[in-house]
Amino acid sequence: MFQYYFLLGLRSLRRNPALTALMVLTLAIGVAASISTLTILHVMSGNPLPHKNDRMFVPLVDNGSLSGYTPGNESGDKQLSYRDAVNFQNSKIGERRSVMYGVGGAIEPARKDIGAFSSQGLAAYRDFFPMFETPFLYGQPWSAADDAAGTDVIVLSRKLAEKLYGDSNPVGQRITLMGFQFQITGVLDKWDPVPRIHRIIGSGAFGSEDSYFIPFTSAIRHQTAHNGSMSCSGNREPGFQGTLDSECTWMQFWFEMASDGQRAELQNYLDSYAQEQRKLGRLKRAAPNRLFSIDEWLVHLRVVGNDNKLSAWLAFGFLALCLVNTIGLLLAKFSVRASEVGIRRALGASRSDIFRQFFIETTVIGLAGGVLGLLLSFGALALIGMQSKQLTVAAHMDWVMLAMTFVLSVAAAILAGLLPTWRACQVTPAIQLKSQ
Amino acid sequence: MLRMQNLNKVYRTHMIETHALRGFEIHVKQGEFVTVTGPSGSGKTSFLNIAGLLEEFTDGEYILDGVNVRGMDDNARSRLRNEKLGFIFQGFNLIPDLSLFDNVDVPLRYRGYNSAERRERIEDALAKVGLASRMKHYPAELSGGQQQRVAIARALAGSPKLLLADEPTGNLDTQMARGVMELLEDINAQGTTILMVTHDPELALRSQRNVHIIDGQVSDLVHKGPTLASSPAKAGSNTATA
Repeated sequence: MFQYYFLLGLRSLRRNPALTALMVLTLAIGVAASISTLTILHVMSGNPLPHKNDRMFVPLVDNGSLSGYTPGNESGDKQLSYRDAVNFQNSKIGERRSVMYGVGGAIEPARKDIGAFSSQGLAAYRDFFPMFETPFLYGQPWSAADDAAGTDVIVLSRKLAEKLYGDSNPVGQRITLMGFQFQITGVLDKWDPVPRIHRIIGSGAFGSEDSYFIPFTSAIRHQTAHNGSMSCSGNREPGFQGTLDSECTWMQFWFEMASDGQRAELQNYLDSYAQEQRKLGRLKRAAPNRLFSIDEWLVHLRVVGNDNKLSAWLAFGFLALCLVNTIGLLLAKFSVRASEVGIRRALGASRSDIFRQFFIETTVIGLAGGVLGLLLSFGALALIGMQSKQLTVAAHMDWVMLAMTFVLSVAAAILAGLLPTWRACQVTPAIQLKSQ
Repeated sequence: MLRMQNLNKVYRTHMIETHALRGFEIHVKQGEFVTVTGPSGSGKTSFLNIAGLLEEFTDGEYILDGVNVRGMDDNARSRLRNEKLGFIFQGFNLIPDLSLFDNVDVPLRYRGYNSAERRERIEDALAKVGLASRMKHYPAELSGGQQQRVAIARALAGSPKLLLADEPTGNLDTQMARGVMELLEDINAQGTTILMVTHDPELALRSQRNVHIIDGQVSDLVHKGPTLASSPAKAGSNTATA
């Protein structure tokens, strides 16, 4: 009977084209408004490494001064000092770990037709690549020995490699960065995680990609200045070494544990570390030491702004208005079908048969609204994407949201159709048949 | 085939109670052609609606083909209606945006027949009423008489035991009405029980038995047909039996 009811539903779409078009359009507009804002939220709050959510963590310790500190107040600092970051790196805790900070410098291409240009990159440990599952087009990350020795080696982004070397494999060649020669060990394939969880602080969750990656130890050896924010609560000696020795926070750190469920182990380490540093007189505050999973990190850094959430609520409010209109239109559409209901009841349809028929008919309307809503959503996302660079990155529909469009549309149509369908089931056949 | 005993139907509003049927009693045998007459408001339609399981009765007994319908839920009543009953209405009651084929198909869908069986039954039913060549047409493309024939085909397609007709010729001219009546007589001759409400005394005379209803009670019976058994009811009795 499902096929029969579905065909009746399709036939019903043609019965009153103007009313049907109005209903489908109303539903589609409501769905498009909701889906487009929901897509932005979904992409913004998305986790590019969901399978590692319970084993990748950002550690934070509060190394602020006691001046102006009220116990219990949470520190607003979201980065680590060089000293804490290096201590974590040397801790041997977890399967992988990497300190990282943004760097910027001039690249001097060997090709004469391309002049020197500045470009942003990231200084990290080799663990960064497997931890964030970066795909390699050519070559591989540098070695652990390179990390230890601070060797001048480099991994290029695909975009930079193509700019400098075209389609050829540049692994093994040397590139001049910040006046030093770096040997290329690998080229990343296209890698565009959204949001860019490893660079939310610095270039932003939806900022442009890094053009190159160099060993952290090499960057420190060359006294490469950081490219990003820095927070200093105490005195700092001048010079690069002064920054390294200070309690200024400017580095980010990620741990990857061997398996899920090792958070407590990492937390214990962090607490022991902080206690030890307090004994050494470094950490002054008795503040909690915090760990953030990927999802928690996204929330903590407010990747999804309140304005985005408000937009979504407004869009759903608009969808509710559209639903009310659709209910009215469905009531009108179904009320003129009372005689048909009477006939079907007389011929053997039970109330539940009538319910199924009209339920499937509203589902067909929902599917039609979903198709149109999807087209309108693409249009709306294109318009939203024009508003800013950040929104351009976020305004892309994936398969989840595509499926969600249909689910939302059908659910909305079914919701809107419940009252009209229930009323259709209450038709008294005897009255309808006599009034024909 | 159909037996009602001491059946009452009361319509209630918050102010008024209207007794449509009072102590109504009737017994229709398998194969009979019974006409029901009476003035407007006498209870003919209420009787037919209750007989057709389209309305519930207030109290009393109603046995349809050996099944006591009292207390049946909507699903059971609908199934019984679909399997045992066929309906023909004054206003034809075809679904306008379905072809003749699809109109006749409606009760068969609810019966759960497979596609091949439905097709065979639809073609047979339309052939019986002389409209086999027009099964792709829509009701609006037919005359009133032809539409009523389609309604008869739809009622017959499921091989009902009892055909309920509510003034089936009321909207037709004399010639068309005669054609429809002859068709109903043929159907009855093949064994289908027919219960027909009519205002037309001439049509009432053509049936085997006429039941006259006044004020919700059977007031008069006229037995004519050969299928009727003995024990004629007395005039003024509220019992119609065969």
